Amino acid sequence: MTTQDYLKSISKSKKPFVIYKSNKGFDLYTNFSKKIVLTNRNIHSFINRISKNKSKSKNTDLYIGFFGYEILNNLIGIKLPNQKGLKFPKGIFYKPEKKVSLESKLNYKNEDLNHLSRDFKININKKLYNKIFNRFMKKIKSGKTYQIKICTKYLNKSKIDPIDFFCRLSKTNLAPESFLIKDKEFSIISCSPENLITKKGNYISTKPIAGTLKKTKKLNKIKALNFFNNNIKENKEHNMIVDMERSDLSKICKPGSVKIIKKKIVEEYKDLYHYVSLIAGKLKKNISTLDIVKSMMPGGSVIGCPKISTLNLLNAQENENRNIYTGSFGYIKFNGDMRFNIIIRAILNYKNYSEISVASGVVIDSKANHEFNENYIKAKALIDLYK
Amino acid sequence: MIYIIDHNDSFTHNVVHQFSYFSKVECDNFDKIDPKKINKAKTIVFSPGPGAPKDYPLSSKIYKKYKGKKKIIGICLGFQQILYSEKAEIVEQNKIYHGFQSEVKVTSDNSIFTKNQKFKVGRYHSLKLKEPFNKNNFEITMRCAISNVAMAIENNKDKIYGFQFHPESFLTENGNLLIKKILSA
Repeated sequence: MTTQDYLKSISKSKKPFVIYKSNKGFDLYTNFSKKIVLTNRNIHSFINRISKNKSKSKNTDLYIGFFGYEILNNLIGIKLPNQKGLKFPKGIFYKPEKKVSLESKLNYKNEDLNHLSRDFKININKKLYNKIFNRFMKKIKSGKTYQIKICTKYLNKSKIDPIDFFCRLSKTNLAPESFLIKDKEFSIISCSPENLITKKGNYISTKPIAGTLKKTKKLNKIKALNFFNNNIKENKEHNMIVDMERSDLSKICKPGSVKIIKKKIVEEYKDLYHYVSLIAGKLKKNISTLDIVKSMMPGGSVIGCPKISTLNLLNAQENENRNIYTGSFGYIKFNGDMRFNIIIRAILNYKNYSEISVASGVVIDSKANHEFNENYIKAKALIDLYK
Repeated sequence: MIYIIDHNDSFTHNVVHQFSYFSKVECDNFDKIDPKKINKAKTIVFSPGPGAPKDYPLSSKIYKKYKGKKKIIGICLGFQQILYSEKAEIVEQNKIYHGFQSEVKVTSDNSIFTKNQKFKVGRYHSLKLKEPFNKNNFEITMRCAISNVAMAIENNKDKIYGFQFHPESFLTENGNLLIKKILSA
């Protein structure tokens, strides 16, 4: 069956499924024999149980799904105040019984044309953004945080066809960590560029992004690299993320094994360039899957630095639940290997409400106006889908 | 054994790995100090961290208890913690350095480092030592090559050392050598 026919048939069957970007194309997981909705009660035993499950190795010997932002906070002992929002599950994992490889060009025609509303509401206007910005700037001056990300949310009400969205998105924006979850009540469509954890055996790496540049006709990759390298603010912002991720890895890695493999390179996307580094290490003996999750999540590059103090500042400020945003999607194999991204550039569609969250970093020399606009650039590729 | 006291920081485990090159290291958060470990330790290290020294009275208490009895090392907030416990004032600075690489210079004849030597270091601090600061046996031994802000202190009598910059940062040249030298001092 061609990819197009396959997508058509799975759409018709109404079966839940997950698609995750692979090296060559995409992997589709379906025929779920288990679905685990995470709570603070079951998360420890769920994570600990997976990698003890040593049966014969099949390519479906894994759990795939996501951890939301709130449960990752709770896991490292940080409580969130009561927040409003969609009341979406804190995390869900599936046990697939079938895996299908799809080519990288996803073609799919949505016949029942969407009734899409292009009307988006933003939860924080410029004025409020400025106020929060100034409040956080004071915290930077007093040393409570060195970098903090203000999150804004775009909201829309319309019925969407998630497969159609994902296929269109992957045509314009083939991001290395993109994924789609389609379940009965909800879907998540993401073109995340950011890998948080790649673990194989005792090797572990993380690939933080810090630094965004809007594309123009005059720019190319080399010019973008020059821009980043010569821009003190972008450099400082990136440096602290590199040191923080080194430290997060050092918590679980053998002393002396943590190395910066790629230092400050540029990656190109549809509307923007990103400044990226790759850091890797060798895990200490007796490190559990739970240890890894707790030391790496929530991913620091989308939170700010230092992590705990910055999370507390964010949580005291935000009165809407982030849900999936800045959580992590990925899989844990029965042999303990894992791959997780950071959930950014994502649409959460739940009961026909869509939300798109974005954030940009505030450091000592940030300008409120610039950061507010950067948030829009990040959301644009997703908002454009509602056409 | 070296006992590192963490202040909920996101750089502490870089410090742990750096000291691990030279000795066995144990690390606990400042609010979960293990009395057995701290008694066993030859050296106590106060980690970097968010906020100001006044936010960590427990760490000041430990400093006062072990001053002169064990080698004490402070990094960034830890550096300020030592000074604050010695009645220095720690204040906000006009120009703030977070993730910034800059040059420091050894400014003292009495330093265990070579006078006038310059090297690049990584910095993450909103606050600084208010000067003048005069205290018996303490000397400021390194300064920012541009702003002159205090970057290192030494007390070679009581074996107390501190860096305002981060020797463990990837932005610091020869950070391991610096640590090796103060550990063998």
